[in-house]
Amino acid sequence: MLSIQNLKVAVNGKEILQGLDLNVGPGELHAIMGPNGSGKSTLGYALAGRDGYEITGGSVEFEGQDLAELEPEERAAAGLFLAFQYPVEIPGVNNAYFLRAALNAQRKARGEEPIDSMNFLKTVRESLKDLKMDEALLKRAVNEGFSGGEKKRNEIVQMAVLQPKLAILDETDSGLDIDALKLVAEGINRLRDDKRSFVVITHYQRLLDYLTPDRVHVLSEGRIVESGGQELSKRLESEGYAFLEESPS
Amino acid sequence: MSALIDSLAAEARLPADDHAQVRRGARKALLQYGFPDMKTEAWKYTSLRVLEKREFSAEKPAPSDRPVLPFEAVVLHFDNGILATDGLDLPEGVSLVPQTGDQLAVADYGDRSGAFAWLNLARFEQAWHLRIEGRLERPLVIATGTAEDFQGDVHPRLFIELAAGAQAEVVEVQQDRGQGLVNIVQDITLGPGAILRHLVSRRVAQSAWIQRSAVTLARDADYRFHVLDRGGRLTRHDLNATLVGAGANAEIDGTVLVNDRQHVDFHTAIDHQVGHTNSRESFRILADGSGVGVFNGRIHIARGADDSHSDLNTANLLLSESARINAKPELEIYAEEVTASHGATIGQLDDTALFYMRSRGIPASEAAALLKQGFAAAPLENIQPEPIRTWLLGELKNMM
Repeated sequence: MLSIQNLKVAVNGKEILQGLDLNVGPGELHAIMGPNGSGKSTLGYALAGRDGYEITGGSVEFEGQDLAELEPEERAAAGLFLAFQYPVEIPGVNNAYFLRAALNAQRKARGEEPIDSMNFLKTVRESLKDLKMDEALLKRAVNEGFSGGEKKRNEIVQMAVLQPKLAILDETDSGLDIDALKLVAEGINRLRDDKRSFVVITHYQRLLDYLTPDRVHVLSEGRIVESGGQELSKRLESEGYAFLEESPS
Repeated sequence: MSALIDSLAAEARLPADDHAQVRRGARKALLQYGFPDMKTEAWKYTSLRVLEKREFSAEKPAPSDRPVLPFEAVVLHFDNGILATDGLDLPEGVSLVPQTGDQLAVADYGDRSGAFAWLNLARFEQAWHLRIEGRLERPLVIATGTAEDFQGDVHPRLFIELAAGAQAEVVEVQQDRGQGLVNIVQDITLGPGAILRHLVSRRVAQSAWIQRSAVTLARDADYRFHVLDRGGRLTRHDLNATLVGAGANAEIDGTVLVNDRQHVDFHTAIDHQVGHTNSRESFRILADGSGVGVFNGRIHIARGADDSHSDLNTANLLLSESARINAKPELEIYAEEVTASHGATIGQLDDTALFYMRSRGIPASEAAALLKQGFAAAPLENIQPEPIRTWLLGELKNMM
């Protein structure tokens, strides 16, 4: 599904990812943890293709395609989704219109017919209900005036509607209370199957309690320095990242 | 500039009618003050050079198109600037008569910044007095259009009077296809408690489009102005609202789109002459190509106009390296216990929002169009009634 080898990414000339390796197979959920400034968000942005996140070395393949050659919208159409740590407000563009434009643009790029309005609305309404979000949000501008928690849940709604093959969730749990956290986790679990993969970037163990990741990785100074099962995240939770310095991998 | 006076205000071009004295007086004022140049404060961003190079033709142009509208309306068609009254069927409560000599005689447009209004007074072909009583069921459309072969100059003059308690929607549909001069002067008065929604949809080709709208609001009158200006070679609109009665409310919302070689200059002035009056203004310019947009919004709260409230906001988008926007709010407050706020921003399309949309699969060009449209639509969102809002938002979408 996703194969990253010795990836180096520079932002404003400064190398943030310094040789990152990561392989995510179909149906797998990988968690990436790490201290502030370790390069977690840079990884998400680089995978989604944000300008200014320059790949200076290594390779990223998504289902055999070289991601670096694709525009952000082409990556989306290929099945990649990034849930933003700070979802962006888009004044004047309403949520329903936006989602439908996104879905149809992806379908068009894949040579599929546009979705019909009834099916679209049905899907969106179900997803909103799953995330306990008010349907009135559909008529509001994208993320405008949404609370922090609503913005994060809206990312999960978008993911559910767009049905990506690989979702990268960048600190989707931050700023959520425990109820919202559960809703988000359920939203993710509902989409899990033996084909769809997830990379969950997080600071905390608590989201992972609900997700049971296949692998947990620790990112530090732009590299994966430790990988393991869920027990690794528990150890990080209790000991913090201090042990990284004592036992570099 | 004198060439412009020679061509537009030659004595021989003054129509010979009952208003000869008013016309001569106006011409005299124009000769005395001259046309504004870029040293004139109110015209510092707008040059008349385009106009100076023109030769105006007296040839009668082909008929201009009547607008096709998706809502029921009473249409006054100013064909190449001249109202065709044949077959005009006005609803009950609406009357249309020529302005009287007395009405014309009191006109005063000050110095050279009022030059085009003086010119209008010297040269108007028709001067109508439209009076509205009661509540109009259907919008009144004032359609001013020019044909492709329009190379003349025309000076429509209209006085719109809303009687006490009257309610109306006046929609101006302005479509220029020519290359002449359209020089409109409007005086609008709202009687006590009158409500006027004044909407302008404008698209100008090569003509110079000069418009002056002076609105006076009596006690408890409510004036809502919305404009969607889709650019023109040289457009200048002065909108002045004067609040003379307590409880009066004026709101101005505008969206201006300019692109290659277009120039649109909006000057608005809201004058709170008495207390307990409110105003709100929101204006947006999107400038692309080598387009130039100018917005000058002045709020004046007179001495003694206490307990007045005013909010003025202008947000603008520069969409290319060579586009220009000059946006300036001006507040002059001489009263006490007032709230007056203003803000002005000029920015570019938000990269983060563009990336966010692209990351969801929307191609870059479509994402940019959606962002522009969303930005431009904001001042039009609270237009009532709904069919007019939908129509204007559709016109906007067609531009993106």
